[in-house]
Amino acid sequence: MSRRDTIEAALARLVAASWIERLLLSIAAIATSIVVGGVIVLVSGMAATCEEPAFAFFGPTSCYDPIGVYVQLFQGAIGDVLGDPFNFRLALTLKETALLVFTGLSVAVAFRAGLFNIGSQGQLVAGALATALTVLFAAPFVPAALGAIVLVPLGLLMGAVFGGLYGAIPGALKAYADANEVITTIMLNFVAAQVAFFLVSSYFSAPESQSVETRTVPGAAVLESTLFGAGSNFSVFVFVLGLALVAGLYYLLQRTAFGYDLRTSGLQAEAATYGGVDPKRTVVTSMALSGALAGVGGAVWVLMVAGRFTAAVPALGFDGITVSILAGNNPLGVVPAALLFGVLKSGSLAVQLETGVPKQLVGVLRGLIILFVAMPEFFRLIGQRFVTPDREPVATDGGEPIEALQTPREAQSEPPGSEPGETEDGR
Amino acid sequence: MTNAVELREITKRFPGVIANDDVSLAVEPGTVHALLGENGAGKSTLMNVLYGLYEPDSGTIELDGQSRTFDSPRDAIDAGIGMIHQHFMLVPPMSVAENVVLGHEPKKWGGLATDRERASNAVDELAERYGFAADPDAAVEDISVGEQQRVEILKALYRGAEVLILDEPTGVLTPQEVEDLFSVFEDLTAEGKTLVFITHKLGEAMEAADEITVLRDGVNVGTVAADATSREELAEMMVGREGGLDVDAVPADPGAPVLSVDGVSVSDEHGGEHVTDTGFSVREGEIFGIGGVDGNGQAELVEAITGLRTPDSGTVGLGDEEITRVSRGGHIERGMAYIPEDRQERGLVMEFDLTENGMLGSQHIPPLGGGRIDWNGARDHAADVIEAYDVRPPAPAARAGSLSGGNQQKFVVGREFERDPDVVVATHPTRGVDVGSQEFIHNRLLELRDSGVAVVLVSANLTEVRGLADRLAVMHDGGFVDVVDPDNVTEEELGLLMAGERPEERERADVTADGGGGTRDESPGDGTDAGQRSTEGER
Repeated sequence: MSRRDTIEAALARLVAASWIERLLLSIAAIATSIVVGGVIVLVSGMAATCEEPAFAFFGPTSCYDPIGVYVQLFQGAIGDVLGDPFNFRLALTLKETALLVFTGLSVAVAFRAGLFNIGSQGQLVAGALATALTVLFAAPFVPAALGAIVLVPLGLLMGAVFGGLYGAIPGALKAYADANEVITTIMLNFVAAQVAFFLVSSYFSAPESQSVETRTVPGAAVLESTLFGAGSNFSVFVFVLGLALVAGLYYLLQRTAFGYDLRTSGLQAEAATYGGVDPKRTVVTSMALSGALAGVGGAVWVLMVAGRFTAAVPALGFDGITVSILAGNNPLGVVPAALLFGVLKSGSLAVQLETGVPKQLVGVLRGLIILFVAMPEFFRLIGQRFVTPDREPVATDGGEPIEALQTPREAQSEPPGSEPGETEDGR
Repeated sequence: MTNAVELREITKRFPGVIANDDVSLAVEPGTVHALLGENGAGKSTLMNVLYGLYEPDSGTIELDGQSRTFDSPRDAIDAGIGMIHQHFMLVPPMSVAENVVLGHEPKKWGGLATDRERASNAVDELAERYGFAADPDAAVEDISVGEQQRVEILKALYRGAEVLILDEPTGVLTPQEVEDLFSVFEDLTAEGKTLVFITHKLGEAMEAADEITVLRDGVNVGTVAADATSREELAEMMVGREGGLDVDAVPADPGAPVLSVDGVSVSDEHGGEHVTDTGFSVREGEIFGIGGVDGNGQAELVEAITGLRTPDSGTVGLGDEEITRVSRGGHIERGMAYIPEDRQERGLVMEFDLTENGMLGSQHIPPLGGGRIDWNGARDHAADVIEAYDVRPPAPAARAGSLSGGNQQKFVVGREFERDPDVVVATHPTRGVDVGSQEFIHNRLLELRDSGVAVVLVSANLTEVRGLADRLAVMHDGGFVDVVDPDNVTEEELGLLMAGERPEERERADVTADGGGGTRDESPGDGTDAGQRSTEGER
């Protein structure tokens, strides 16, 4: 077997993995990354100088305790849940998780339609700015008693609408001008950030502020921190909203004709066209839906976390790409994937506070975990694109009923050297 | 005399298919050898074996009497074999000279840089020797397709090829470029090169080749000298005869016209015309067959009818409504079922299970489709199709990609037939299907006809179209050569028609269902236009 065959067979196996196998792969990946990260911590600790070694290793001593670091990383994310179930560390974890659910869903839905939306960040910025400005302008006209009931839905709606419109732009460019969405969405990220900066600094800046930011939205429009203490910036309502969107999106993709069109386009555009799907319209609507989800994320960020629009928008859109890949682009997988990010964010803060490990090294450990977990899914994506596990029929007609289902994938991969589409007579 | 190429008893299997079954091929040096056959006959596979892309399961390769084994194309290139693929392997922004020497660049400065001057000179010299006009400094993206093909040939010659394999070299060329290519063939053989070219066009094989080998279903049917054969003989060899079709067809009892196609022309984005001013109509309870050698415009005509492609001119009507510009989805809603030629690209989503695939096309149509899809109903529907059409494994949860080709086909056929259609457009409905299921599909097709469905049946299998069709159009070079009564036509006549020649004295069935009177400019009464145009095209 040549090297190419081996690689193709491995990719095909990965593509064919069941979700349980994928879950086990993720767990194994975390374990591996802990081993690798632990060695790095240990070795760095040996090179560092400190008053009192934290860890002894058959003689040589290390300033950092590799086991303690990981214990802190995961325990710090949940805090002292038994003593205080609503502690700030858990709040931080859940806040990050909630924010990333929106952008993770955004990237995932585009992926399902066969589109690589790198532009969730820009769509989030567009949604966030629209939300902040709408709420600021509408607030004086809304009676105080109705403030929360009107302003919060209005803000979320405007976030969705403007994020959606901003997502529809690269969709339309792809559908009608054949412009690759990867390139256009990357460029539109810059456009969104710069236009938002210009608008806010020139027209909407808060009068007394030195930085580029709008005025603070009125208290009625803020998504209050419930259950978790004030200052946690985490509203359970948002978490519920995120979960509802996950469920809604799953339903949309799996149970509706629109979702069927979208998934079919993503998997096999030719077959979708044959089945009566309008490919151009599907590209635009998928991108608009993707953008709307990112826009809601922007709205939530403004109403729950920042309380205003500032030019310093966190990179939730970009993290959403990783979250979506970790989730295998499945809406249901977005929640655990976002949770992993939340845990790492909150946990690494705890590591910095509780141990002597510098934050740069903690960043390395976080990166390792994400890298290790993402790699199998990443290769699955590549595999889906380049390895077509069973384009060749398994058996001639009248094949045995059950065997046909269980034939090893390796036997079905393309013969070596053949390019996709360069089958018999190139037709 | 030792043969330049000698393939002995080559067998190459892919999972589920024998692409080449004990195929032998001998090519004399300094000659042009055509490998003729329909799509899927195994021509490209055989040549890929010779080029080292595939390793044969058994059989031997000899070049100039010496036994060879190739692990990769590199070995084959080193042994003096060059292959020009149908889709060129050129780098568009780079110059002709750079493309020719790519991978074997003359070096200067101790191998640090390409010696452009020497490359350019080498290309000039080669071009002159073989009588090509080529500007070595022109960018490949700026030159015509015919010139690009010559760059590919130069590339192979530069690498020292003695045997050149050309895969469907005329597929992308204009008629004038084809002529030029064939004169290049002569120059090359005059210099002692040996050429093997793959084609499914028998006219080209007869014109350009010294010898012709016909492959059918992976088997070498025979090798004939080009000047000692006829078009009819070649057409028969290509299409072959399978035993008679066993169907108990009651004579058709056609009703009102349902599908009417009028003056349809289809061309691709490069301007090549695939269908020229073609029209017909199909009545309720009638099977209209379209036969002919693959690649004569059947696929494009079907795409225009089914809404996958908008024709350049002409109209398609369904009932009283014109549907020329109606979307693909609109065609499905109006009751048109369509069995596509390519089940793995179009007919099925390979990653979906059969339940999901059963909904392809009906996802927006109640009762199962619509806003929300009734997946329980869809599963039952898939199970019904699976049972009725004997799809194995009989599991709605089986992934389409895990099924064998024949079972995939049965599922597609079943799904489309059970749509309760008014019109069925079936292209190669029994391709790759076992004999028992073929018979079932044929009978089901006749049942549909008898229940008043209008059927368009496109098949390269002559026995099938002859046995089933009530009227049979033979397509050649983008148009109907003739429309005949399949019960009153001999095999020889069909062979001639498929080659684009129309015996003048033969009686014709009507092109249009209602007797053809005056609905088209080219009415059947005087209608030799199509035939004449086609034969002219050949000369």
